Amino acid sequence: MKTYILRRAGYCALSLFLLSLTIFFFVRVTGDPAALLVEPGASPGDIAAIHHQFGLDRPLVVQYWLFMVSLLHGDLGQSFYYQVPVLQLYLSRLPNSLILAAVAMGLSLLIGIPSGILASVRVGRFWDSAGKVFALLGLSLPSFLVGLVLILIFSVYLGWLPSSGAGTPLHLIMPAFALGWYFAASHMRLARSSMLEVLGSEYIKLARLKGLPQSLVIAKHAFKNALIPVLTLAGINLVIMVNVAVVVETVFAWPGIGRLLYEGIAFRDFPVVQGVVLMGGAMIVIVNLLVDILYAVIDPRIRLEK
Amino acid sequence: MGPVDVDSTSIPLGNLGVSRRDLLALAALGVAGVPKIARAAAPAGQLTWGIHVSLTPTWFDPAETLGLITPYMVLYALHDAMVKPMPGKLQAPCLAESWTATADGTSYNFVLRKDVKFHNGDPVTAEDVKFSFERYKGAAHELMKKQVASIETPDPQHVTFKLNKPWPDFLTFYSSASGAGWIVPKKYVEKVGDEAFKNAPIGAGPYKFVSFKPGVELVLEAFDGYWRKPPAVKRLVMKMIPDETTRLAALKQGEIDIAYSIRGELAEELQKTKGLSLKPVVLQGPNWLYFPEQWDPKSPWSKLQVRQAVNLAIDREGMSKALFLGYCKVTNNAVVPYTFEYYWQPPAAEYNPAKAKKLLAEAGYPNGFDAGLMYCDSSYANMAEVSVDNLAAIGITLKLQPVERAGFFAGYSSKKYAKGVIQGASAAFGNAATRMASFIVKGGAFSYGSYPDIDELYPQQADENDHKKRAELLDKMQQLVSEKAMYAPIWQLAFLNGVGPRVGESSFGQIPGFAYTAPFEDITIKA
Amino acid sequence: MSLADVIRLPSRAPRLGLLKRLRRAEFPLIPTLILGLITFVAIFANLLAPHNPEVGSLVARFKPPFWMAKGSTEYLLGTDQLGRDVLSRLIFGARISMVVGFTAVIFAGVLGTALGIISGYLGGWVDQVIMRVTDTWLALPALTFAIFLAAIVGPSMWNIVIILGLTYWTRYARVIRGEVLSLKEREFVRLAIVAGCSKGTIMRRHLLPNVINTAVVLGSLMLGVVIIAEASLSFLGVGVPPPEPAWGLMLADGKQGLMVGYWWLTVFPGCCIMLMVLSANLIGDWLRVKLDPQLRQL
Repeated sequence: MKTYILRRAGYCALSLFLLSLTIFFFVRVTGDPAALLVEPGASPGDIAAIHHQFGLDRPLVVQYWLFMVSLLHGDLGQSFYYQVPVLQLYLSRLPNSLILAAVAMGLSLLIGIPSGILASVRVGRFWDSAGKVFALLGLSLPSFLVGLVLILIFSVYLGWLPSSGAGTPLHLIMPAFALGWYFAASHMRLARSSMLEVLGSEYIKLARLKGLPQSLVIAKHAFKNALIPVLTLAGINLVIMVNVAVVVETVFAWPGIGRLLYEGIAFRDFPVVQGVVLMGGAMIVIVNLLVDILYAVIDPRIRLEK
Repeated sequence: MGPVDVDSTSIPLGNLGVSRRDLLALAALGVAGVPKIARAAAPAGQLTWGIHVSLTPTWFDPAETLGLITPYMVLYALHDAMVKPMPGKLQAPCLAESWTATADGTSYNFVLRKDVKFHNGDPVTAEDVKFSFERYKGAAHELMKKQVASIETPDPQHVTFKLNKPWPDFLTFYSSASGAGWIVPKKYVEKVGDEAFKNAPIGAGPYKFVSFKPGVELVLEAFDGYWRKPPAVKRLVMKMIPDETTRLAALKQGEIDIAYSIRGELAEELQKTKGLSLKPVVLQGPNWLYFPEQWDPKSPWSKLQVRQAVNLAIDREGMSKALFLGYCKVTNNAVVPYTFEYYWQPPAAEYNPAKAKKLLAEAGYPNGFDAGLMYCDSSYANMAEVSVDNLAAIGITLKLQPVERAGFFAGYSSKKYAKGVIQGASAAFGNAATRMASFIVKGGAFSYGSYPDIDELYPQQADENDHKKRAELLDKMQQLVSEKAMYAPIWQLAFLNGVGPRVGESSFGQIPGFAYTAPFEDITIKA
Repeated sequence: MSLADVIRLPSRAPRLGLLKRLRRAEFPLIPTLILGLITFVAIFANLLAPHNPEVGSLVARFKPPFWMAKGSTEYLLGTDQLGRDVLSRLIFGARISMVVGFTAVIFAGVLGTALGIISGYLGGWVDQVIMRVTDTWLALPALTFAIFLAAIVGPSMWNIVIILGLTYWTRYARVIRGEVLSLKEREFVRLAIVAGCSKGTIMRRHLLPNVINTAVVLGSLMLGVVIIAEASLSFLGVGVPPPEPAWGLMLADGKQGLMVGYWWLTVFPGCCIMLMVLSANLIGDWLRVKLDPQLRQL
């Protein structure tokens, strides 16, 4: 077990290292941030001064080394534009993204699981077809489109909800719905197929033979087992949600890390861009690692593989 | 606008409705000099702004002021300057009560206003003035440091700037074209250092810094001890809302009271909404089309008729109506705004596509030609699209290449866009001479070429101390620019802002050519 | 009545019509027709569009669709903020969506399949390196990465194709590699090795044809994802640049109009995106079931 975890953690670290390298070099190709921080037509002396101030005049390798060293100390650097530590900026915006993702995830599970189960129980009949339609729509509509339509209906025509910004729970409803819509469909699908599999299993057949009523069978036995893959997927999806929320954040002017990244790119704020992408990547890698470990704990065959 | 004289009265009396007789009476009572407006009640209430850009702490420090007007959005609130543009005057005495210049123009002596204080209670002294100038590293700092030989502070109330040689534009640069005249407290800055200063700035302006959340909002509080008058509104909150639709929505719902920059159909919507008013401000920012290829004898752009044709092909009024509700001020002077000193009034712009086609035919292009790319700042891509259409109508085809703002200016000034057409603009402070320097003459940051007859006039006017003679020289330069059709001027941009029902006086348009609300101390909440 | 009439028997069972046969096979007829229509429109855009999609007339701004009060039949679906005909822009936008969608999917597919085969068959350190790179790539949030790349190379249609290809190839690589891993234990591969085929030949002539099915299925699933990604990028302003009429860009422009009630600028492009992605997904689902039931869990 220990070797398995160590090996996986090793791969994890390697991935993160490659990630940091990639980001670091890519970011520097986006252009010179000095152009933004001085006025147009500034003298070369001014530009050189800015380069020196931010350490951009040193050889790339040295820059990278310094970057890695500070990274290991938990320092993601200082934002060029806002002149505050990137980590501080990131952490100040992260709660917004997390709240949005959490509510969206909750909505997607609340909608996805029951409808998936319903569809599986009524295979081939109305609810199943309705479920299929719902799933298709969910996977086919871009989140920002859903957001725009919601704004059209609930803000412009009905005037019930504020069209953008953050603050009150009312502000949260539409963005969370727009973000969670796609994942609701995805969860629904998985819940349905997972439930079908479980319902067809030997274990359930036995329960039915014992004479238990259908609803009890579903509620007590099938449900729990069917839920496991869905929740696993949900965990991974949560991280993905935080990262793809950028479009929804744009539509609703939600102050999360997606917007932070976008601004960072627009302002050529290297440290911010590096920081956000790295943190995003790190989150995904770590969650994957945890899931792998969890699987290994549950299923001995995995941890014994070559 | 005529030349601005050096004198020591502050706000012209006419604006205050105070007659000479009243002044005499007041003088008799021993209240000489500035007639102070009766002190209003203590500052109260809060107003919220929705800003279209993201504030950076760099703008809280006058030493880093760029050559744009955006930082001034905050500078006018937090800080104050010796001399700065105010309602009615381009160079109004503020922290400086008065100033005199020696006859040969090599020395400027400023008298500081008495009893002006910084937010922390420290008095504003000559030492602070000298310190602020020496630490300045923003726009035009090299030029200023080169021209100023020394700064003397004989006593806390007097500062003398000694120049290396006569420089007629000293005051223009000191008061607006640079941030060197904005005063910061020496003791405080030296104590906390530059970095910490940006995070907790102290100035002499009407509002004190309270807090700043990057990318979210800036909170300011009224400074009762402001010399001009105590502000009426106690708290100012500037929220950053970069998305236009969101900004308007926030204004409609009362989440903000003032919204900067609402354009196009959203502006129409604003006008139609009860309780909201649209406040257009014409900026000191002309927009133009520039022809970087005009010095290349092989290019069609080297022919005068081609450039003149473009000037005739742009439907300025139509564009203005469509995109800015008609508020833009069509101009035929490409680079100098009409509010600037030494502005030359050209003949009116014309829109005549038929004549434009004729000119093109005369130049040898009866069917037009493919001109390549049209570069523009992506925030103004809609304007550029219309220009491209207009030119396509007379046969000149262009493909639009929008570039995000920073990249655009970097490319423009590094002469990257040498082939094609450039749609550009500039809202920087200065006067006609500074604009000539940047955009017309050889060596200018945005000059892709120059004409010798214009170039030789430039140093002549730079050394000309006599105001009238200098104006003549600058007029001639601008006339030559217009005759040679170096540019195709479009208009001076109108900045459309929205004001909510709670606001009494918004201060929009008080300072000609300035886009934002200033002076802040004049802003009131409706009772 | 003659014996011939009585004894007449059909020579064989009646042949079912084409439609009936397709429906038996659960062939997604409507989605295919929709995609076919979009392809047709994309190819013949120049002939079909009533107006130039990039040039507008300022006097004709914000005209609503023809069935509404201020609309006119000259601009069937209305005009946008610069007076450009919405219908013409939709038609040309189809071309952009089609080109970007298919090219990006093929590009990602080729890259991902090649790397997947190489990685799966050769194993060893080649496999490890490619897998680590894949992991790293997968760790980058896709949309974030795409925005990031777009900021580097600048917005243009072909850049977007490359970016999307680079973002999504990993999806192929992983799956193809898995398949190759199980394929390489099979008889026909062993025989090929014994027969002396080179590694390249084995990969090219034996493995590739067998993974093509999977690649195609993946491709059909990715098409929807790629189109949504392109629309999102254009919406954010880092995709296909103006004045090209990409549907995502039309949505971005139309957003401001929403507040003022100009709904047609958002609803029509939105419907187009939805129809195209929906069709792609339905076809992909069907392909998945038909070509290889084992792939159902994809």
